[in-house]
Amino acid sequence: MSARPRVAVISGFGINCETETMAVFEMAGALADKIHVNRLVNGEVSLDDYHIMAVPGGFSFGDHLGSGRLMGNRLRFGLREQVRDFVRAGKPVIGICNGFQVLVKMGLLPGDDEVSLTQTASLALNDSGHYENRWATLEFDPDSPCIWTKGVSRMRVPVRHGEGKFVTDDRNLLDQWAETGQLVARYVDPSTEYPGASDEVLPYPVSPNQSWRNIAGVCDPSGLVFGLMPHPEANHSTWLGATWTREETEHGEGEGMAIFHNAVEYAASRM
Amino acid sequence: MDGRQPIVRMSGSDTVHAVEVTTRDMEGLPDARGDSVATMLAADYGIKVGGVRVNLGYLIKAEMSQDEVERSVYDLFADPVIEIGSSNEALLNSNDLFPHTPEAVIQVGFKPGVTDNAGQAGLDGLITLYPRLAGQSQVATSRTYMFWGLPEGTNPSELAAMIHNPMIERCAIAGADDCASARWPSLGFPDRPPAVFAEPAFVDLEVSDKQLEEISETGLLALNLNEMHAIQAHYRDPEVRVARESLGLPAGAPTDAELECLAQTWSEHCSHKIFAARINHKDNVTGESSVIDSLFKTHIVSPTLDIQKEVDWLLSVFHDNSGVIAWNDEWSLCMKAETHNSPSALDPFGGAITGIVGVNRDILGTGLGARPIANTDVFCFGPPDYTGDLPPGLFHPSRVFRGVHAGVRAGGNESGIPTVNGAMVFDERYLGKPLVYCGTVGIMPRRLSDGRESHDKTPSSGDIIYMVGGRVGSDGIHGATFSSLELTEESPSSAVQIGDPITQKKMIDMIIEARDTGIIQVITDNGAGGLSSSVGEMAELTNGAEIDLEVVPLKQAGLSPWEILVSESQERMTVGVRPEDCEAFETLALLHEVEATNIGEFTDSGAFVVRFADTPVAHIPISFLHDGCPQLQLESEWTPPQHEPFWPPSMSATGMGDVLSRLMARPNVASKEAWVRSYDHEVIAQTVIKPFCGVNHDAPGDAAVIAPLLGGTQGAVISNGITPRYSDIDAYSMAAASVDEALRNAVCVGVDLEMIAGLDNFCWPDSVESTKTPDGRYKLAQLVRANRAIDEVCRAYRLPCISGKDSMKNDVTMHGEKISVPPTILFSLIGNHNDVRKAVSSDFKCPGDHIYLLGETHQELGASELAYMFRDEGSGGIGGEVPRINPERNLAMYRALTSAMSEGLVASAHDCSDGGLAVALAECCFGSDSGASADISSLERDCNHLDEWGALFGESLGRILVSVSPEDSDAFAAAMKGNSCSRLGTVEVGDEITVSYGDTEALQASMSELKKAWQGSLGG
Repeated sequence: MSARPRVAVISGFGINCETETMAVFEMAGALADKIHVNRLVNGEVSLDDYHIMAVPGGFSFGDHLGSGRLMGNRLRFGLREQVRDFVRAGKPVIGICNGFQVLVKMGLLPGDDEVSLTQTASLALNDSGHYENRWATLEFDPDSPCIWTKGVSRMRVPVRHGEGKFVTDDRNLLDQWAETGQLVARYVDPSTEYPGASDEVLPYPVSPNQSWRNIAGVCDPSGLVFGLMPHPEANHSTWLGATWTREETEHGEGEGMAIFHNAVEYAASRM
Repeated sequence: MDGRQPIVRMSGSDTVHAVEVTTRDMEGLPDARGDSVATMLAADYGIKVGGVRVNLGYLIKAEMSQDEVERSVYDLFADPVIEIGSSNEALLNSNDLFPHTPEAVIQVGFKPGVTDNAGQAGLDGLITLYPRLAGQSQVATSRTYMFWGLPEGTNPSELAAMIHNPMIERCAIAGADDCASARWPSLGFPDRPPAVFAEPAFVDLEVSDKQLEEISETGLLALNLNEMHAIQAHYRDPEVRVARESLGLPAGAPTDAELECLAQTWSEHCSHKIFAARINHKDNVTGESSVIDSLFKTHIVSPTLDIQKEVDWLLSVFHDNSGVIAWNDEWSLCMKAETHNSPSALDPFGGAITGIVGVNRDILGTGLGARPIANTDVFCFGPPDYTGDLPPGLFHPSRVFRGVHAGVRAGGNESGIPTVNGAMVFDERYLGKPLVYCGTVGIMPRRLSDGRESHDKTPSSGDIIYMVGGRVGSDGIHGATFSSLELTEESPSSAVQIGDPITQKKMIDMIIEARDTGIIQVITDNGAGGLSSSVGEMAELTNGAEIDLEVVPLKQAGLSPWEILVSESQERMTVGVRPEDCEAFETLALLHEVEATNIGEFTDSGAFVVRFADTPVAHIPISFLHDGCPQLQLESEWTPPQHEPFWPPSMSATGMGDVLSRLMARPNVASKEAWVRSYDHEVIAQTVIKPFCGVNHDAPGDAAVIAPLLGGTQGAVISNGITPRYSDIDAYSMAAASVDEALRNAVCVGVDLEMIAGLDNFCWPDSVESTKTPDGRYKLAQLVRANRAIDEVCRAYRLPCISGKDSMKNDVTMHGEKISVPPTILFSLIGNHNDVRKAVSSDFKCPGDHIYLLGETHQELGASELAYMFRDEGSGGIGGEVPRINPERNLAMYRALTSAMSEGLVASAHDCSDGGLAVALAECCFGSDSGASADISSLERDCNHLDEWGALFGESLGRILVSVSPEDSDAFAAAMKGNSCSRLGTVEVGDEITVSYGDTEALQASMSELKKAWQGSLGG
C-alpha cells in the first residue's frame, strides 16, 4: 500500500475505547490520531484532513439520558456541517458500541441519502435490564453495500453494553433496510451452517440483548457509514479470543481485524 | 394538591420546570427498568408483583420559556423513537399511556447536596442546546415507580423502604386512595440549605483531660488523649507562640482548621497508628515475650527492602500512592488496593462507586501520573440467604451485595477500566461492616520525553498548586476520621458520597495529556482528608506550602474555611506545575472541560500555611504535622482458641457426590458469573485470560492475564488471595494462605516467578484493648501472627510487598449489639508474563488428557469450607488442623510447573482452594463439558493419616490440579521430577465424575448436576 489513510479517532467526555481503536487502524496500516471532540468544535483540527472517522466505544456522559444521546447532541449541534460534509465526500465512518449509539441517536444511522440527520431507530435497554460482557458470533449480509464488511461471513466478538437492543417505531423501515442491505450484522447461533441469520429473535444469550431481528449493526444506504454494538477492535489478536486456549491457533491477527483492513484499503484506494 | 394541575413550581426566585419520560408502549419493547425492579423484589423480598413501570423525572431550575422546555423534551430528555416525554404535565394523567390506575406510586429523588450524576449530565445537555443557561441553572433527577398487582396487604411505605435509601434519598408515596384520585407524588427541587460561613475560630486546649477527650469525641476527631496532649504541648511551646503571634494567629491554641488538619493527618486511616505502634507481645504457647517496634517497618517494609537489594525492578515502594515496578525497559506498572467499608455499609452503591473511582485516583496520583488499566474487586458480605435477626439500622446482606456490585460496576465500566479479577466471600460476621476491596493496576512510561523518570515526583519551591476536577462541598466531611471509628447509629451521613466517573474520566484524560507534555511536577489525589492531606503530604517534599481557601471553587457557597480544607469531595487531584507551564496547563483543562484552579504554591518555609483571602487560617510546621503524632503503646497476648473438632460422618460414594453438590452451591464456592458478567472485563482490548473460560465460557478462571501493549505478547498477571476462615484457628495460617492463594492462582496461568510483587490489605476488628474491646490483646496477637506470616512467606517466595493498606476498626455497634469482622487479609499480586501466547487456562481441554495433582495433600480440614458446611447444617465444629505452609517446597514446584508451561507441556491448570480437590476437579470438568475418573490412593504417600475427607475436601496449600495431553505426559512427569506430582486419572467423555480410593469408590457425581448446583445459588 502506497499511501496511509489518516483516521480521526474521536475522544473525550467518557469515550474510553480510543486506545484500542487507534491501535487496530494502525495495525491495518493507517495513521490514527486521537481527537478530542472540542478540538473539532473549536476549529483547532478539521475533519477535512482525515480519510476515515471512528467514534469509539465508551460511556460518553455516563450513558445518562440514554446512551450516546448527549455525545450525539454535541456532534449534531456542534459539528453538523463538518460531519455531513465528511459523509457526503464518500469517506468511511464507523461507530462502535457507544459510538454506534451516538451515530444512531444523531440520525446518521441507519440514515438516508440526504444525510438529513433524522433519528429513525434506537438502542433500547437490553431485555435483561443490565450491562453485560460476553462473547457472541456475528454473521454479515453478503449482499450489503457496507464497505467495512466485504468478504467477511462470520466473526466472534465481545459485546459489552447495557443498551444494545436495536428497535424502531416504524416496522416498515426494517423491511426497507433489509432490502437495501443495511441490516449488515446480526447475532447468529455459531452451531448453525452459514448462512444462518434469522429474523426470529434468537434465545438469550445467543442474542445477548434481544435485539429486533437479531440486529447487531447497520450501515447507511451508501455502505460507508457503519455502526455495531459488539467490539471487533477487541478481537485484534488471536490471544484475545474467548476460547483461544482450547484451539490450535497460528497466533497473529484476530478475527476482528478484517473490518479495519477493509476500510483502510478502501480509503487508500481512493487517495 | 390536585395532580391534574400543570406542575410548574416556584423555588426561590427561579422557575422550576418538570420533564418526565416513560418507555413507549410497543410490542417487543419491555420497560426493562420496571422489569428489573420486579425481579429484585421477587429475589430479595419474595414479593411478586403484577407489573412495575418506571418514569424518569427531571426538575430543571433555569430561566427558560415553556416553548424552550418543550423543545428540549425530544431534543434531549426523551428518545423520540422509544420514549414518550412531557413537560410540566404528569404522564400519569394520560389515559392513553396509563389506562389502568396504579395501586401505588413511589417517587424517589436525591436529598439536597447528594451528587446527582444524571442531573449533571442533563444540565450539560441543556447547555449544549441553550449555551446561555451555563452558570446559574441546575437539574435534579427522580424516578417514579408505578406498581400494579401488588400482593394483598402490601404497605407502600415498606415497598418504598426497599427501593430507596433514606440516608441519601427522599421519597414521596401515593397509596391506593391517592392513586384513585390522581394525587401523584411530587418531590420539590432539592434545594440545599445555605451553608453558614464561620470565621476561623480557635479551640482552647488549656482544659482538663476529660474535656480534651470530649473535644475529640464531639468533633469526630478520633484523637486519643495522648495525641491531644501532644497537640496541647505544641501550642505551649514558647517558640511556636512567638511565631504564631507574628502571623496574627491565636498564640496558644490551634484554630479549628489546624486541629482538623492534624486529626486528618494523624487519623488511623491516614497514618496507620496501630501498624506503627510499639507492641509488647506475649505468646502463651512458646513463652515468648518480646517488643515489636512497628509491625509495618518490621514485617512489611523490611522484607521488601532486603529483596530490593537483589532485584532491579522495584522502582517505588510504600511511599507513593501505589507501588511501582519496572515491567520492561519502556514501561512500568503500578498497583494499589483500598477498602471502602464504612461508607459501603451506610450507602452500598455510593460507598462502592466512591471506592473504585478513589483507588483509580491513587494510580493517577502515582509518580507523575499513571493510567489506570485494570481493576480488581473483592467483597466480603453477610450470607445473601441470611434469615436471622438483623440489628436495626443495617441493610440485609443481599441488598448490600446488590448495591456494592452496582456501584463497582458503574464506577469501573463508566471509567473504561476493565474489572479483570476478584472474589466474593460470605460470612455472618460481615453483616455489620461489609469489606469492599477495590484494586487498580496502572501503566506509565518509564521516562517522559523530557527525560524525567515518571515514577519520581519533582516539585520545587515556587511551583503553583492546582486543584483539578470536581468542586468542594459539604459532602465527605470527616470521612477519614469517621472510618477510624466504629460504626454506630449516629454515624454522619455527610461521610457518604457518590462518585462521579465522568467528571473523573475527563480529568484522567486531561492529566495523562498534561503528563505526556511534561508539565506536571508533582501530583496526588484528594481522598481522605481532602486538601489538608493532599497539600500537606506534598508539602513535605519541598518543606512547605501556602494555599488560599477563598479561591477554591465550591459546590455551595458559604462553606467555612476548615470545611473547605478537610472536605473529601471526590474527583479531585492536586497538581504542582511550574509557573511557566501554567498557561499550557489551564488551556488543556479548558479543552477537556475540567476545572483547574490555582490555589497557592509550594514553598520551603518549613510550614503548611493556609489563608482565607487575607485571614490566616492555619500555620503548622511540616515536621510537627508529619512526625508529631506520638507512638501508640499496645499489648498483645496469644492463646490459641479452642474449637469443637470436625467429625465427618461415614458416607457412600454417591453420598459423597451429594456432599460435593451441597458444597458447590455454598455461596463461597458457587458461580458468581451472573454478577461478574456485568463488569466490563475487556475494555482496552488486552484481556487474555478472562474471569471465565471453557467451551461455554462459564468455567471459573484463576488469575487474570492482560497484554497491555496492544499487539505485543508480554503480559501482566493479576491475582488475589483471601482466606478469612482460617483466622478462626490461627491468623498466621490465614495470612500465609492468602499469600499462597494469590501466588498459586498466578502460577496457574504461567506467571514469571522472577517478577512478582504483592499488596497487603488488612481489615481487622478493633484490636486495642478497652472496655469496648475486652479481647483486644488476642486480636492484636492475631495481627502480630499475621504480620509474621506475611514476612516469612513473602521472603521465601521472593514476593515483595510494594504497597498496602490497613483498615483497623471494622466493628459495628448498633443498639448495644457488636459485630466484628473476622481478621481478613486480601493479598493481591501483580507479576510479569513473558509470553501471553503460552498462558494456560483452568478448563480441561480434551477427553483422554491425563490429570495430575501437584503439591502435597495433608489431613487439613480445620476451618475448611466443608467443616463450616457441616457446622451450619448442625453437625460438628470447625476445629482440626488448619492448612500449614511450606513455602520452599511450594516454590520449587511452582518453578517446575511454570517452566513446563513455557515448554507448552500443560493443557490446563487450576488451583485447589475452597472445597479442595473435589471442587477443583468438578470446575475443570465444567470447562470442557466432560467427566473425569481419578484415584486418590497415591496421595497417602505425603500423609499417612490422610482419609478420603481430607483427600477430597481438605484445603492443603500449594496444590494445583493439572491436565496434560497423553503425548506430553512423559515429558511433563520428567519436568516435575523432585516435586510431589500424582497422576490421578483421566479426562473422560460424558457426564460422570468418579473418584476411587484404590478399589473402593470414594465419590460419584454427575458433572451436569454439580454444575446446576454451582450455578443455581447466586443468580443475578
